[in-house]
Amino acid sequence: MKRYKLVHKTIYEYPSLVMGYQSLLCLAPRNMPGQVCDDFELAIDPAPSEIVERKDYFGNTTHYFSLHTTHQELSVTAISLVHRDNESVGDAQALPDITCEEARKQLAQDRSLRMGLLEFMLPSPMVRWDDEIVAFAQDCFQDQLPLYECAKRFCQKIFSVFDFVPDFSTINTPIKEVLAAKKGVCQDFSHLAIACIRGMGFPVRYVSGYLETLPPPGKEKLQGSDASHAWISVFIPDFGWCDFDPTNNMVPGDRHIITAYGRDYSDVPPMKGIIFSSGKQKLKVEVDVIPLE
Amino acid sequence: MLTEAAVNLIHSYKNSLNSYDEVLDAKGQIKPVWLALFVNLQKLGLEELIIRNHEIIGKLKENGVTYNVYESPDGESRPWRLDPIPFLIEQKEWTLINRGVEQRARLLDLILKDLYGEQKLVKNAVIPAELVFANTGFFRPCMDIFQDKKNFLPLFAADMARGPDGRMWIVDNRTQAPSGSGYALENRLVTSKLLPELAEGMHINKLSPYFNGLQQRVLAMSEKGQESSNVIYLTPGPKNESYFEHAYLASYLGYTLAQGEDLQVRNNTVYLKSLDGLQRVDVILRRIDDDWCDPLELREDSRLGVPGLLQAMRMGNVRVMNPPGVSLVENHAFLAFMPSICRYFFGEDLIMPSVATWWCGHEKELKYVLANLNRLIIKKANRKSRFPSIYGRRLTEKELFFLRKQISAAPHEFVAQEEVSLSTTPSLIDGQIVPRYAALRTFLVSDGAGGYRAMDGGLTRSSPIKDRFVVSNQKGGLSKDTWIVSDDSHTFQEKVVLPHWAAANKLVSLPSRSAENLFWVGRYCERAMAVIKFMNIVINVVNLDRNFAGISKPGHIKILLEAFSHLSASLPGFVDDAEKLADPYKELLDVFANRSRPGSVASGVASFLNAVNAVRNQWDIEIWRIIDLIENSYSPTKDTLPINKSNLPKRIDSLYNHMFTFLGVVSETMPRDKSYLLLETGKLIERVLGKLTIIRHCFSEVNDDNVEEELVEAVLLNHHQLVQYRQLYKSRLGLVTMLDMVLLEKSHPFSIVNMLAELKDNLHRLPHGVENERLNAAEKAASKALLSIQLAEVMALADPNSKDDRLDLCQLLDGVSELVTQVSVELTSQYFSHSVMQNSFIKPIDDEEI
Repeated sequence: MKRYKLVHKTIYEYPSLVMGYQSLLCLAPRNMPGQVCDDFELAIDPAPSEIVERKDYFGNTTHYFSLHTTHQELSVTAISLVHRDNESVGDAQALPDITCEEARKQLAQDRSLRMGLLEFMLPSPMVRWDDEIVAFAQDCFQDQLPLYECAKRFCQKIFSVFDFVPDFSTINTPIKEVLAAKKGVCQDFSHLAIACIRGMGFPVRYVSGYLETLPPPGKEKLQGSDASHAWISVFIPDFGWCDFDPTNNMVPGDRHIITAYGRDYSDVPPMKGIIFSSGKQKLKVEVDVIPLE
Repeated sequence: MLTEAAVNLIHSYKNSLNSYDEVLDAKGQIKPVWLALFVNLQKLGLEELIIRNHEIIGKLKENGVTYNVYESPDGESRPWRLDPIPFLIEQKEWTLINRGVEQRARLLDLILKDLYGEQKLVKNAVIPAELVFANTGFFRPCMDIFQDKKNFLPLFAADMARGPDGRMWIVDNRTQAPSGSGYALENRLVTSKLLPELAEGMHINKLSPYFNGLQQRVLAMSEKGQESSNVIYLTPGPKNESYFEHAYLASYLGYTLAQGEDLQVRNNTVYLKSLDGLQRVDVILRRIDDDWCDPLELREDSRLGVPGLLQAMRMGNVRVMNPPGVSLVENHAFLAFMPSICRYFFGEDLIMPSVATWWCGHEKELKYVLANLNRLIIKKANRKSRFPSIYGRRLTEKELFFLRKQISAAPHEFVAQEEVSLSTTPSLIDGQIVPRYAALRTFLVSDGAGGYRAMDGGLTRSSPIKDRFVVSNQKGGLSKDTWIVSDDSHTFQEKVVLPHWAAANKLVSLPSRSAENLFWVGRYCERAMAVIKFMNIVINVVNLDRNFAGISKPGHIKILLEAFSHLSASLPGFVDDAEKLADPYKELLDVFANRSRPGSVASGVASFLNAVNAVRNQWDIEIWRIIDLIENSYSPTKDTLPINKSNLPKRIDSLYNHMFTFLGVVSETMPRDKSYLLLETGKLIERVLGKLTIIRHCFSEVNDDNVEEELVEAVLLNHHQLVQYRQLYKSRLGLVTMLDMVLLEKSHPFSIVNMLAELKDNLHRLPHGVENERLNAAEKAASKALLSIQLAEVMALADPNSKDDRLDLCQLLDGVSELVTQVSVELTSQYFSHSVMQNSFIKPIDDEEI
């Protein structure tokens, strides 16, 4: 079991006065088997008169607020206490062995299963694919092999073929461009993985959250050095959702903290907002995932 | 009485048919209603009908009925086209049609309720899950915004056409923000006014009960005290294709016309930003498509919507009609499943069938479609796709092959439809009554108790082209009035009855945007007039000097021409340009007519007309007539000669007179409310600035007496004060007496002191908010300006400080101009909101891109 304090601080600076702001946050960790959010707190400056909490379509917790005083700087800090205990969920060794072929067959024949998963099998606002994209995954998914193994191998392939390069892409960079350049960040790898896996006919969703990063050996961890993270979750028939982290080539465990599920990033951006101003804006994000004893 | 002539008219029409036609019944006999119409048409005579048609065209233009054409270079609007011959349906048939569309509306309402709820239709396999989850009209954030659980679809419009079997078919379901009901109303008003003879002996149902029902529904929706309900008619703005209709219906129904940026969500409540501050909004009738309604939760790049709107709906603080999310059922695939959904919900068959539609996501249908591709129309199920409708019969073998491949790759994204077959109906084309294809849209409003009321009529669109159906308004179709003719002799006269409290809605306020536009209507109008007026003065002086070898030296001409360039802000213009000064006409013509030149009259009038159009619900019919005249007199049409030296004075005169008339009609007809105050304020600010500019540039330098005498005369003319001056002074024209008159004469409306006093008074009457007693910044600036004019010593001002200059005069006039400019700045910051909506994140991938 691991316990964490998460601090996610977003600061907007505006060179000209902002008259108003409307915002929707998706920052609160989910409560689910293996993860409990013990406390969640939002500090917003300037303070809104009200923050409205809501469960969205996918069961994620969102917070809505609006500002009507003029301001030139806005800071939103989300602080949560979470404990993770993946082992309590089940035997981690008993991996599902359903093959790709069997999984496909079940998804085609079990109507109610398919109905519940369909939106994670179809294209979504930021994830579409064509033959070229799907071809990238072809060699990893073989009919007679277990789907779980194939998905894992595929994430490994992304990890080994792609370079993690922070400033190459924006959230709007198309999957094809990422595929051609063989570089990107966690959102890009997740979107690419989702496109390929859906293209192969399997349900997969986008996971938004955090990862505890470890400092280089012998060095102290720097404050604000973490970042929000993204990975994927594949549905394995007869078993359930299984997470994979293509950015780090690992199966997420206690160091991954889950905030939200969606079809892709567009369903779950941590913070979105509409500003009433005529100027530009500068954004700074600081994330700390602090392990607690 | 069937005369021989009427029989002939019918025969000649019948002979021109080459398809099934509205006029004939299944046995090929002429239907009684059409017979009656043909008799009336014959009585009127074709020649008279053509004359009336011209009157209709003129009337529609005069009433400002337009349809904006997208992608035209300067946001051009096209006059609405109305065929004088109506579309007729007998009451008996209409009753059947009514039952069909009413059933359709109830069904769609239930579908929405189910799919934004339990989704039993999917769970029980009545429809495939793709119809929801692959549907770009299914908006997940809308799951919990529907507050009225009894009615998800308050408004509905059905597009219909008559099939070859004589039955009406539903071609399309329109749920988002159906357009056309306002045009239908205007068509009726114009037809009944200009062609009353056509309806002789017929009983035609009224359209008003539908609008009455709509108003009742809106009032019933507003949950809290209805007396104070504030209803907004939300438009995307003047650039939208049917903006005319938005303004028209808003004023007909008595709602405030507003754009997204006029509204603001605070404390989960929607407010209207108005001249009096924020005002709570209870109901929004929207003409914005679903995905544009709220950039925070729906389409992020939307600048048309209201961020936070969905949240306000969730909290139950505002009702939106129709609620966003209803485009779910506009998805073409639904047409294929309507019969089974109808049986599922009602245990009965559809009364009115839809056009035959196959969804390709099922194997059997896919096979059928692929095998019959060459006689079907292929569409994407999602309406907002850039994929155009494809007519299989127009494709080559190779193209068919590729289309098959495309469909097979993602079959659930495609539907196939049978080509819609339409009936023809008599239309007046090029002076002949000939058959043309037509289709009908009718409108329904929920009664809030599970039923719907349909408009007894609708909007018929017909094709101007023979044997082809081109009815899109964008592409230039014709419209028709639609008559539901009852054989019943009792005239069913239902007046719009409103609860007594609806009439006394004190909350109606002026949205800030409209306020700003009105202010600029005043400013642009005066700016253009000031330039035209002074141009006229200058031309007279130039002509006099040329033709009559002037008594004075031409020194004053240079000064006047340079002052003209300053006034019109078309600098450098005449300033120190010997060539232009020697032959001023070329430059004057350019400043008058060159629309792309800043400061030109043409560009000023264009800005004026834009501002007028942006607040078109403010104007009554008299004003539209004048605006039409102004439009004609400034923009040359193919009938008018190009502007040249000899016709310029005449063109100037007529434009000036029309604009003067505009101001006159405004002052005679507009209620003395805030709208009027703002327009007047804009006008006064511009007028003071213009007059001061001329005085300053004429007298900043000291000139010979005879030159100054000419200038004094020009300035007095510019102030409309020459007559008064002559009556008072009779003697020669002097600077001191002139300054005394144009600056300080209290009895004259064009004197500076008078205009400033009026400006100050107007400002005081505008809303002041909490600090009601105090002068606001704009008033302070106006008071200072007024005071400095009142304190002016004209003797000293006229007296040159040094040999060449009148520094004191310049200083005074510049100071006053600055203060008046400040008034405008203060007004803008106090009353008109200027912040722009921006967002900070992602752009969804376009449908067809990867």
